[in-house]
Amino acid sequence: MKLADVMSAMHFNLFAQVALLIAVAGFATVVVSVFLARNREPFRRASLLPLADDRPVGTPGGRA
Amino acid sequence: MTTATVAGSAARNERMERFVYDDAVVRLFLLATLVWGLVGMLVGIVIALELANPVFNLGLPWISFGRLRPLHTNAVIFAFAGNAIFTGVYYSTQRLLKARMWSDGLSRLHFWGWQAIIVAAALTLPLGITQSKEYAELEWPIDVAIALVWVVFSVNVFGTIVRRRERHLYVAIWFYIATLVAIAVLHIFNNLVVVAGPFKSYSIYAGVQDAFMQWWYGHNAVAFFLTTPFLGMMYYFLPKAADRPVFSYRLSILHFWTLVFLYIWAGPHHLHYTALPAWASTLGMLFSVMLWMPSWGGMVNGLLTLRGAWHKVTEDPVLKFFVVAITFYGMSTFEGPLLSIKSVNALSHYTDWTIAHVHAGALGWVGFMVFGMVYWLLPRLFQTELWSKRLAEIHFWIATVGILLYVVAIYAAGLTQGLMWRAFDETGRLAYPDFVETTVRLLPMYWVRVLGGVLYIAGMVICGVNALMTWRSGPARYAEPVHEAPALRPLPAEAEAGGFKHAAWHRRWEGLPLTFSVWVAVAVVTASLFEIVPMFLIGSNVPTIQAVHPYTPLELAGRDVYVAEGCNNCHSQMIRPIRAETMRYGEYSKPGEFVYDHPFLWGSRRIGPDLARVGGKYPDLWHVRHMEDPRSTTPQSIMPAYPWLARTPINWSAVERGVAAQVTLGVPYTREQVTGAATLGRAQAKQIAAAIAQQGGPAGLEETELVALVSYLQRLGTDIKKSSTTAAAAMGGERTGR
Repeated sequence: MKLADVMSAMHFNLFAQVALLIAVAGFATVVVSVFLARNREPFRRASLLPLADDRPVGTPGGRA
Repeated sequence: MTTATVAGSAARNERMERFVYDDAVVRLFLLATLVWGLVGMLVGIVIALELANPVFNLGLPWISFGRLRPLHTNAVIFAFAGNAIFTGVYYSTQRLLKARMWSDGLSRLHFWGWQAIIVAAALTLPLGITQSKEYAELEWPIDVAIALVWVVFSVNVFGTIVRRRERHLYVAIWFYIATLVAIAVLHIFNNLVVVAGPFKSYSIYAGVQDAFMQWWYGHNAVAFFLTTPFLGMMYYFLPKAADRPVFSYRLSILHFWTLVFLYIWAGPHHLHYTALPAWASTLGMLFSVMLWMPSWGGMVNGLLTLRGAWHKVTEDPVLKFFVVAITFYGMSTFEGPLLSIKSVNALSHYTDWTIAHVHAGALGWVGFMVFGMVYWLLPRLFQTELWSKRLAEIHFWIATVGILLYVVAIYAAGLTQGLMWRAFDETGRLAYPDFVETTVRLLPMYWVRVLGGVLYIAGMVICGVNALMTWRSGPARYAEPVHEAPALRPLPAEAEAGGFKHAAWHRRWEGLPLTFSVWVAVAVVTASLFEIVPMFLIGSNVPTIQAVHPYTPLELAGRDVYVAEGCNNCHSQMIRPIRAETMRYGEYSKPGEFVYDHPFLWGSRRIGPDLARVGGKYPDLWHVRHMEDPRSTTPQSIMPAYPWLARTPINWSAVERGVAAQVTLGVPYTREQVTGAATLGRAQAKQIAAAIAQQGGPAGLEETELVALVSYLQRLGTDIKKSSTTAAAAMGGERTGR
């Protein structure tokens, strides 16, 4: 039996349903993790990264 | 690499490292962005003029609409937006990771390699060297070069990530990683071809499956080239410009993962009501509608980042550009799902509505993000004040008016077109049976588009002048500020232990670039496979039609001419099962009709009528006259003339290579057709040329591309009219291939 036969025997809805379940499970996992209260402080610190990245300590002679 | 380890701060008891960023490569990419942006948009103006009046084609092959349109899209997407992406990525990645780019050599190789690719595209597309697939037109040698340069870029970015001094990968870096991974996957799998010459190849996919792969690529090129990197840049440059952190970092994480997972499914919405199986089309629609959530989450996150800083928007052109860009992002990502709904798509597809949608996104979202970033970077990169803030303000207003003129006119054109195509009179017949009636009605709107485009490009020129003067007023030698940061420490033990304790797993990913990248790849590939595997493996997707047989060698040569001239940029070959279409063009298209179409040529736009059933509709001479001067057969036509086709000889050795390549792809040509492709082609050409002469046309056309094109056009849609026995007799001989 070929894989094509197995696939052909399935109903198209199956692919959509499995995909939807995976999507919902993945989404729920990410939502739960990001909204846990204990993650608030690490995320707040992370959000400051762009504002803390560009403070030179000196400017020696450069090059063209 | 100019990194020096120095004694660290005693107070913090950390080993500090000093380093400088490579801003020279950022300056190069920024200047390339402006130069190529000007070129790409100038080509856009030329083709807008050609649509408004065909006289602007000038009778020259290299600047005819079909050849220039792909140059415009490629230049704007890959040259303008591409260089802008690299500008933003090289600048922000170094700073967010607190590390100089991994290799200066790879950075230069990336820059010059990408510019060489752009030049190659600018030379080959006007010469008619194209694969015909939208946004993937470039032929295989250039595709190979793109893959190599992309690897160089990826190695450089991942190398920088490995050598970073900041543990956490900021969300902008995630978007960049998604871009690197997804574009590699999309580019490679959509461009798999069988080579038939130094500048000629045929897609390994055919018909329905090729269309599916193309729009899987095409839609996700928008997603992962024109969206994710720009979102990464938004999450970096907007907080910088507003001097406040992003409104919600949590929302940015949700934005990222939902976008990465959902976007990849949406491609089939480009093929509603076509021969694509309905299940794939519906799946594409559902995931497109779901995309509303993350897209608007991102837009809201962007706009709310300005909370408490809106007063700055009135004074700062950078923020003005960003605010309008994010607003256009919101509007485009509202409209995209709307257009993916089948009933809306039935009206919008093939019309200018799609063009307006694309330009709202490209000019508004991408263009304004680029300009905002450029104005923010100019004083920092060139270490001087921006030459003229006033000019930046003028640029903003001129470009905004330009966009509005463009999109309002073209939305109106799209709706007009869609409604006229489906209008019936009181007797139940088409109200506008002559296609050209619906085209002529659009011409005033096309002129408004030209005006809008001219204003937008005028803004671009102003930006270029401002950049040039800023550059000139900068120092002769740029200083290289030294930065300092502690070396990266190993992950804490509790994070290594990980699990779900303290929900640390996601933060661990954020600190583990390889794991993170693998999960991004898993999200992209899993979603792709859920559509691709059934599409290729389930036989009922493409029911066989016995009467459909391969093109003759001459027809194949004609098909190559059709591809080279970019006819598919204006003519579709796909009749949807909609009453207005079947009445206008004939029986709707079936999947089995395209099994030998490498590549598919369904098109996405009808500037001219559909050609799926044009075969036999007109005599051969009509096509000859039409190609020589379209106005001689259709007085109000806006099609360019193709006089050179009657002068260009058929390349018979290329025809032989083409037939051989088709056999490699599994097309069942007979041995006689393979070994005698040129002989068979000449014989058919002689017959057609004789018929043309007999009908009162010019003599001596048998060796010209015009005859090959006529043979192809006369073949279109005729297979299903024939009985299977007739078709079998026509083929004859022993089959090769599958």
